[in-house]
Amino acid sequence: MSNCKVLMYNHEKCSGCRSCVVGCSLYHDGECGKVVSRIAVVRNERFGESFPVGCDACTDAPCVAVCPTGACAMDCGAGIAKIDTEKCIGCKECAMACPFGAINMHYKTGKAFKCDLCEGREEGPVCADWCPGGAITYETPDVSFKLKRREKLTERLKAAKVGEEG
Amino acid sequence: MYGWAGQRLRVDLTTGKITKEPLSYEYRRKWMGGRGFNSDIIYNEVPPHLDPYDPRARVCFGMGPVSGTAAPSTGRVTVSCKSPLTGGFGDSNMGGHWGAEVKYAGYDQIVVQGRAKHPVYIWIDDDKVEIRDARHVWGKFPREADQMIKEELGDEDIHMMMIGPAGENMVRFACTFNDVWRAAGRTGTGGVIGSKNLKAIATRGSGTVKIAEPKKMMDICNRLRQAFKTDPMGQGLYAIGSLALINVANRDGWLPWKNMQGGATPLANNISGEVHSQTVLKHREGCYACPICCGRFTQIKDGKYAGEEFGGPEYEHAVPTGPRLGIIEDANDVWHNARLTNDYGMDGIETGGVISTAMEWYQRGFITTKETGGLELEWGDAETVSRLIPMIARREGFGAILAEGGERAADKLGLPDEARYYTLTTRGMTLPGDDPRGLGFGYGLSFSVGTRGGCDHLRSLCCLELSGALYPGLNTKILGDERGNKPITTANKPYMVFYEENQKGTTDSLQVCCFTTHWSYAVLTPDQVEYLNAVTGLDFTEEEFQEIGERIVNLERAYWNRIMSGAREDTVPERFTTEPMPQGVEYQTNVGVVFPLNDMLKQYYKYRDWDPKTGFPTERKLKQLGLEYVAKDLAPLRTKYLSEAEKKKKKYHY
Repeated sequence: MSNCKVLMYNHEKCSGCRSCVVGCSLYHDGECGKVVSRIAVVRNERFGESFPVGCDACTDAPCVAVCPTGACAMDCGAGIAKIDTEKCIGCKECAMACPFGAINMHYKTGKAFKCDLCEGREEGPVCADWCPGGAITYETPDVSFKLKRREKLTERLKAAKVGEEG
Repeated sequence: MYGWAGQRLRVDLTTGKITKEPLSYEYRRKWMGGRGFNSDIIYNEVPPHLDPYDPRARVCFGMGPVSGTAAPSTGRVTVSCKSPLTGGFGDSNMGGHWGAEVKYAGYDQIVVQGRAKHPVYIWIDDDKVEIRDARHVWGKFPREADQMIKEELGDEDIHMMMIGPAGENMVRFACTFNDVWRAAGRTGTGGVIGSKNLKAIATRGSGTVKIAEPKKMMDICNRLRQAFKTDPMGQGLYAIGSLALINVANRDGWLPWKNMQGGATPLANNISGEVHSQTVLKHREGCYACPICCGRFTQIKDGKYAGEEFGGPEYEHAVPTGPRLGIIEDANDVWHNARLTNDYGMDGIETGGVISTAMEWYQRGFITTKETGGLELEWGDAETVSRLIPMIARREGFGAILAEGGERAADKLGLPDEARYYTLTTRGMTLPGDDPRGLGFGYGLSFSVGTRGGCDHLRSLCCLELSGALYPGLNTKILGDERGNKPITTANKPYMVFYEENQKGTTDSLQVCCFTTHWSYAVLTPDQVEYLNAVTGLDFTEEEFQEIGERIVNLERAYWNRIMSGAREDTVPERFTTEPMPQGVEYQTNVGVVFPLNDMLKQYYKYRDWDPKTGFPTERKLKQLGLEYVAKDLAPLRTKYLSEAEKKKKKYHY
């Protein structure tokens, strides 16, 4: 499970375009809108800041722990908690428990819904696939952190070089 | 209903009456959306000779059938009014996220009319619409008012349309903002909103846009979004923004230099996208559902303006209060001026345009410090410009004269006719930062006939004339002729402008961003028709797509015709047709070029089926487009336009 691919969100690269939001809602619900998206983008317009917020695929997932019916359960193969709509009673406990706000209640069914990594989509989750700036990636944690390590190192070296020249 | 929300929201600020009007299938099919809906309202409800600031005038905000969907870049909004700058038809188009939010709230269009007794803002919370007191945010910069209104409404995630202080003061080229920084800059829409005592429209939409064929839509969008990952212009726009054009413009001699006395300067690279992204870029910004994200957020790092930050600038925003005024040595001066026009809420192009005109009047002795109130309007004097911009917004001193726009400023100053040579306007509006002697003969033709006055790179956006280098073969694919793929040729340009104006008319009505369809070319007309049909479940064809655009162009043209603006006014400033482009840099490619407008107009009229004498659409064309009522309106005006009395009139604005 620890080697499953996960979605990683890097707000430093997020332009706030919400391509992820329209893709997610279209793929899952066949309609477009923020209210049916499993991923959200929090924007601070005044400062030009944007933060993608989606399921962080917790290993000890609070949403699973609090679910009274077993509807929200860990899919060990995929490495992420998924919600069985049939079993969900719409109590909102999981949405309240999620530390990130990655669970919402569906306006049509009244049931909880969350990221399922676009189960069945060949190209992987649509949010990562459509992200124009590489702010959302879909990799195993190991690969993601390797990339991050190298990126951060490159930035630091570059800054140091500019400092020397300057 | 799929795609469209199916209703128009109308708010009368005089009476406080709020109505929701259904939009019929026939109406939607005829006008498509945003720009089309708006132009129809302006033509039918704003009489041609009404003062644009009269309470009876309308200001319209238009969304389209694909607004808020997963199609590439669906957040745009068209803002339309009778322009206080030109007196003719006016509209402007803005990005951001507000358009999608309004759509999710359940409206395709908002029409505001009347005038509130005191400053107000409109709060749209899905079905619930109310008019609220805005006296406490009046006078505030958009970024301040944005925060205050969001805190007041208790929701930081809402989206907003807003004006700045210049709009409140009815500066004739005030702009309208979407989410603080994305501006509908041109034609002075902000002043009309200000004249209604309206500061903002705050919106929360919790609905969705219904898609007729979601699976098909998903396939199309997957394909198009993949295409952007390799589209050269799309990638460039993401990396360094529209400032990517600075070095290209300088090489090909279309970078405005000192009121377009020149087209290139050795120091242009100071403000290039390449340099901007390495020095002051804080963040990249994306409008709703955009696969490109050309938006910038800038933070000045050093010098006297250190710490200032703002959304932008774009090429057309940085250039007018920069090199157009001879300011280029210190890039921070250019960023600072762009920040000022943003905060005060003025069209950067017109602000730079009117100041550069004044500077040239000063250079040539038409005005002196006596008229300017002591300001020495020397080229490149960034300090003076940064003082003058707020003066224009507040209508103080010499700023009050410039706040009227270049042509009215000439009236007020009582300048002789020769001074008009330096105003660089068509139909009362200043040309943007694309010198037609460099970019290009298609752009120039587009400036002369544009239906919102002398903009108008955005009426045809015929970047096909630049596409030879990056997209060889594209002209053949779209127009069936490759000859027009470079700027300095008249070959095929009349047809290119005709085709692209129609194309753009519908693209603007879908309310998708033309950077997905015209600067970058990952989305072509067949793709747009495909996603439009997947969203709406209807059976639009490419022919109908083009015809809707053609209908819109002709209706807007007729608005001008009704105020006696036609063939004689299809001009560009004489500078471009008479002064050979001087050499600014060694490597410049267009030295000595003049712009041969008259070689193209006749052919253009032919494609348009416009009467070559009047420049009015023929009755035949109007009827063919289902505009019989327009034909009736124009019938008595055709001979009037050709009368000796009309011919003698000099029209600098309307």
